[in-house]
Amino acid sequence: MISTQAGDGTSDEDALITSIVQGDQTALRALYDKYGGAMQAVATKVLRDVNLAEDVVQDVFVNFWRDPGSFDSKRGSVRTFLVMLTHRRAVDMVRSEVARKRREERRPDRDYYDVAKEVETRDLGTAVRSALDSLAPPERDAIALAYFGGLSYVQVAHHLGAPEGTVKSRIRTGMKKLSTSLTGYQP
Amino acid sequence: MIHDQVEELISLYALDALEDGEASDVRLHLEDCEACRGELDEHRATIAALIPDAPAGDLLWDRISREINDENRVDESTVRPVELADRRIPLRATRWLVGGAVAAGVALGVVVLPQLIESPAPSLVASAEQAASEDGSIVADFTVDGTAVARIVLTSEGRGYVLPTDALEPLNQDRTYQLWVINDDADVISAGVLGADPAASAFTWTGDVSGFALTREVAGGVVSSAGDVVAVISEV
Repeated sequence: MISTQAGDGTSDEDALITSIVQGDQTALRALYDKYGGAMQAVATKVLRDVNLAEDVVQDVFVNFWRDPGSFDSKRGSVRTFLVMLTHRRAVDMVRSEVARKRREERRPDRDYYDVAKEVETRDLGTAVRSALDSLAPPERDAIALAYFGGLSYVQVAHHLGAPEGTVKSRIRTGMKKLSTSLTGYQP
Repeated sequence: MIHDQVEELISLYALDALEDGEASDVRLHLEDCEACRGELDEHRATIAALIPDAPAGDLLWDRISREINDENRVDESTVRPVELADRRIPLRATRWLVGGAVAAGVALGVVVLPQLIESPAPSLVASAEQAASEDGSIVADFTVDGTAVARIVLTSEGRGYVLPTDALEPLNQDRTYQLWVINDDADVISAGVLGADPAASAFTWTGDVSGFALTREVAGGVVSSAGDVVAVISEV
């Protein structure tokens, strides 16, 4: 399984978090410089709207500034924490009525969302590409639709025309394979 | 929900792919189950590893910094945040201001205003230069006796910058410069307070605009002003 502890940057990041707790905005800027781009990439993939994605990243950073104690270094790296918050917030927006409508306006055809292309065209490292290649296509499609599409497994099942139980099983199996393949990997 | 059931759903929870009710049940279980929390953390680390790093833009940071600084200033001064619509001043004063005539004693009738944000100047100046080069941006100078005292940049998306020059004389600490936007209806709306010795600052304006005004006011911005006009930019 992949390590949930931060890598070599742990002590540096601990220092940044301490500085943020003390109200040092330059430390927050340093975190933004390191991870803001990845966060924006996640939000943009989910929302398919650059402006909404920027709103999400802004919201996550402002909330983190208000309450840096919400991060627990024992449970993983700052990067993982910020990406998780960004994705959750983006999914909340996707499932809200206003964002859903804006999103649908940008997608007149439901098949427009090409999962395979979504995964394959991303600028991935060799380890990640290899990990994704280890998945069976139905597993990869289910995970990509859920994560980058912001869909629940019920919606994924509907989208793929597959039983819900089958989709749950594909996601579980795929996630186990990914965790095994990415053991020790740091982006 | 029992442990075995939750264990089946942890990877879906990590992907934010559960329905709301199921997610709530899992969240409850996680509070008391260290093993499931550990598994969740592993899945989240795996997912984050799939996301490539990418450069982060200065403009979004400017927005984040602005919001944080706005909050800090509001907390310090206990000033109530003001909706833009509340900040309009009477049309009578507006026309006077646009015309540029000095009419001492005319009340501007403005409530207390949010400060403009003075982020680290190099970043803002670079952002302003970038903004000035974008299609549809307004770039105009406030001038006094033919000398530019401040440049205004406003993009079509509403990102605004004020870049004072050395020719803008510092005020005493009990005074401040204040920036105003004049819209197509000739309403004058405050865009923020610049301070006594302004540095590069950012503001946001997404409505129509026909001009800008720069005034001297009491420190902190004005509720009612006699209108000490420094310069006006009209018909931008």
